Amino acid sequence: MDCWKTRFYKIILHMKTIIVLLIFCFAFVVTAFGQEKFATKTGEINFEASVPSFEEVKAENNNVSAVLETGTGNFAALALMKGFRFKVALMEEHFNENYIESSKYPKATFKGKIQDFDYSELSGEKEYVINGTFNLHGTDKTMEVPAVISKKGEDVWVTAQFVLKPEEFNIKIPSIVSKKIADEVNVSTVFILQKQ
Amino acid sequence: MVYNYMYQDHRDIQSETSQLEITAPYLLERFKTDDGASLLNKTITVTGTITAIEEGAVTLNESVYASFPEEIPELRANNKVAIKGRCIGYDELFEIVKLDQCSMIK
Repeated sequence: MDCWKTRFYKIILHMKTIIVLLIFCFAFVVTAFGQEKFATKTGEINFEASVPSFEEVKAENNNVSAVLETGTGNFAALALMKGFRFKVALMEEHFNENYIESSKYPKATFKGKIQDFDYSELSGEKEYVINGTFNLHGTDKTMEVPAVISKKGEDVWVTAQFVLKPEEFNIKIPSIVSKKIADEVNVSTVFILQKQ
Repeated sequence: MVYNYMYQDHRDIQSETSQLEITAPYLLERFKTDDGASLLNKTITVTGTITAIEEGAVTLNESVYASFPEEIPELRANNKVAIKGRCIGYDELFEIVKLDQCSMIK
């Protein structure tokens, strides 16, 4: 009878050690692969839709937000449309009121996942593909965006160049001015993400 | 005349009269409860306490992000300030309202 009791206690003791070990392992895994976040509020987006021999159609926004989760490779960016600045004030007004309708659709977003992203391998510049969805002018579009990602010091740099077509986002450009605005808009972005 | 229409100047937010004075947390609250659309593109004055200082921008009460076109005058965290700027919208990634072309009122 006594023998049974000691065996029983021994088993309990073993289970305790195993549970404690499991908790330790779990804690280690969580810290090692935890959701480290890199973010910025001052990302840059430039776009140009100029047509040769007409006035340049070009704007920039230096207050774009972006967040990267290094554990998952999830990447999100958000630009407030009213933050795009043009050289010509009237062009800025037309962009906001007639084309992008920034009072109705104040922001553009991108949410996606970087393919084959491994933060621990990040060092020099490397090309990646981000699969994700743009939301612009209230319209969603799924896209594969090529991006160059690198680590410089403590920061993660994400840069990308791609082409968007206004018609794909339901943005109508009246025929009177359509000759002066390109059908394809070249977009370039730079995000210098800091560890949060 | 056509030329003047085509090449009119940009708004000068710094010289515009602000249309509303509001505290930073309340401004955020308005956007979170979908009551902010009428403030878009308006020149407003926001009051609050500085909670973060970055290059060319300050954050008030972790609610409003104000970016300055020029160097920011000397500021410290916890300073109570009033900032005039153009309200450009709500950033749901950071849960913050953004202002640009800001200037310091006090």
